[in-house]
Amino acid sequence: MENALGLSGGQATLIAITAGFTILGLVGLAAAMFMEKRWKVSYSFEFLFIIGMLVLVYYADWNSKTTYKAYQAELRQWEEVAGTPLAKEDRKGVFDQVINVAAFQWGFAFINENNELSRNAAIVQPGEKVLFRVMSNDVIHGFNIPVANIVAEIDPGDVRELWIRAPDKPGKYLIQCVNYCGVGHAQMKAWLVVQGADEDNEETSQLDTGEGTSNG
Amino acid sequence: MADKELDLKRMGNLPHWDVENLIGKMTLKSLLFSDDYRHIAIKGILTSLVMLALGGIMAILFRTELAVPDVQILGARVYMTLMTLHGMIMVFGFLIPLVVSVCYFLLPKVLGHERLIWAKAAQWSYWLLILAAVLLVIGRPDFTWTAYPPMSLRTGNPLLWMGYLAIFLVAVSEFLAGAVLLRNALEAKGGWSKAPLMAWATGTVGLLFMVSTIPLAFIGLGLLTDYLEITAYFDPSRGGSVKFFLYVFWSYGHPAVYLPFVPAIAVLYTLMPRFLGHPMWSYWSGVAAFILLMLGAIPIGPHHFQPLYTVSGWYERMVQILTLLVFIPSVLHVFNWVATLFMERIPTSARRAVPFKFMVASIGFIIYGGATAFINAQISIDSDFIHNTYWIPAHFHAMFFGFVGQMAIAGVYYLYPYITGRMYNQKLANSHFWLWQIGLFTKISGMFLAGYTYFPRWVYDYPPLPEWASTQFMITVGAYLIGLGFILFLYNFAVSASRGRQVEGDPWPVEDDAAAVATPAE
Repeated sequence: MENALGLSGGQATLIAITAGFTILGLVGLAAAMFMEKRWKVSYSFEFLFIIGMLVLVYYADWNSKTTYKAYQAELRQWEEVAGTPLAKEDRKGVFDQVINVAAFQWGFAFINENNELSRNAAIVQPGEKVLFRVMSNDVIHGFNIPVANIVAEIDPGDVRELWIRAPDKPGKYLIQCVNYCGVGHAQMKAWLVVQGADEDNEETSQLDTGEGTSNG
Repeated sequence: MADKELDLKRMGNLPHWDVENLIGKMTLKSLLFSDDYRHIAIKGILTSLVMLALGGIMAILFRTELAVPDVQILGARVYMTLMTLHGMIMVFGFLIPLVVSVCYFLLPKVLGHERLIWAKAAQWSYWLLILAAVLLVIGRPDFTWTAYPPMSLRTGNPLLWMGYLAIFLVAVSEFLAGAVLLRNALEAKGGWSKAPLMAWATGTVGLLFMVSTIPLAFIGLGLLTDYLEITAYFDPSRGGSVKFFLYVFWSYGHPAVYLPFVPAIAVLYTLMPRFLGHPMWSYWSGVAAFILLMLGAIPIGPHHFQPLYTVSGWYERMVQILTLLVFIPSVLHVFNWVATLFMERIPTSARRAVPFKFMVASIGFIIYGGATAFINAQISIDSDFIHNTYWIPAHFHAMFFGFVGQMAIAGVYYLYPYITGRMYNQKLANSHFWLWQIGLFTKISGMFLAGYTYFPRWVYDYPPLPEWASTQFMITVGAYLIGLGFILFLYNFAVSASRGRQVEGDPWPVEDDAAAVATPAE
């Protein structure tokens, strides 16, 4: 899975199970209403049903735990590396870029590793693994990147670490707040800018003023 | 079979009231201050319908705003005020009071007391709620019904204190209502094993009301004193904690979902045997489900905000597992209902009865909206597309409106001949039924799709993405259909009270045109 939280594998199975469950229920209700045949359900059938439910609960919990732990493992790995004085090249394979994000009333400020600030765009390379360290110091905000399948709630005072795999296709992708944070909530939007291959050199030269590049 | 008789009795399956024009005989004084349980219930029902109209008009206004992107009819502040009032009025003013009022009407006869014990408390509960509603409408808070601080402490609205006070009054009002429900349930005749399912429902939910409104009262008062800068419980800039608020608020906030939900289930358990003419499939399965729902309600509150650290933290993991498990009692109820419908031939009288239709449709919506609870509960999927996108309003509109609201309306149609002495107009009621089913299905499906495409909650405008514009338009169409259905309902309610067919004897006899072909006698 690219983004550990992406809708693939176990997640998709669970959504399919839920859809199946809904259809089963509605068909059962329709059958009870309109079928000619009557049926006195035996009580043991309900117990079987409950056992089936318990199995589903176990599977759902297991799947959620495994998926989320895999997502968190990447963050732990980074935390270990981040504490040591390593050059940026050595961090490759964990995260290609680290962006600090300040969520405020009402907008996002993105600060990249060269301490450059942008008020409306997080600039990344195609397919890059990016770590966002999101913080808020006023009210509860949300942080959602639809294309990266991630949504989070940021309490004031917390630093919440979230990572994404940037899309391969260059372009502008929406970043938005999803928690109501005051009257300007609807305007609290920004862009995830995935840079194209041809304009790459130009942009990088503008951005990289410091010692090295985090990505080629 | 003696067993069957006991079952019929404990499921409230007998016609209880003489049909009379109660509303016509009421004076203004008896409407306002009478402690007769029927008068209290009628007052509650009428007030809730007014609240539904109010909340509905607000919904129509902001649905119109959202129908098309980039077109502004309402400003952000007006939109948010309407949204906040819509949420509060619909839950505190329409859903909870309406199902509780229907329960007030049913309880005394179903439990055999012939009167509502502690009717004075029910009276106080009503008037405190009215005071809260007045404060809300005057104060016009715009902090959403969850009032998350520190945002809710500084929205810039000068009358914000009225909002906090209203929250406190709602807590007191619901506490009193819970006390009435619990007290009446405890008095059920013949002991626990013979108590009707309605007694189990009102007993468990009454207890839940009383326990869970305590944190809500604290939230209301805490926000008020924080706002006046006497305390600093919730404001991090003055040393308070937002997380403290979240835990306290949601220990009311999740039970709050069950406060209308369980009484609606109780009404369903009372009406279904009444229309079908035979007991429910299983009594004890219903009892077990009520107890499990009550026990599960408070501990799972934290699933409403995102886990602060990780799912492998034992607390968040426990919340996730308990949330998944709470699915089971709800499924037990639905299983019980479907199994009951399956037992014997459904009499033609039931098929014709509009309350029965609403009841079956509401079961459909509890399946449609309830099944998604299974994926909402999982932290990993919640962190993908569910948390605070339109997926959440889709889920709770299916449960709150599709199930609870429709079940409450089924209760109103059921009580209609008992309170007016006349029958509603069948054609108008049928149109109302179908407008609501189509409208609700359109609206809820549109919300699910919008949520799946990450449409954020609480926005008055949005970028013109095609998947957002189309789903928002779809939801607005649904809302208009529901509004139209409601107008038909009000018209029917008002006009049939004087022009409807006069009812003699039992308004809901169980009759079957094809009785001769029906199942052999037991």
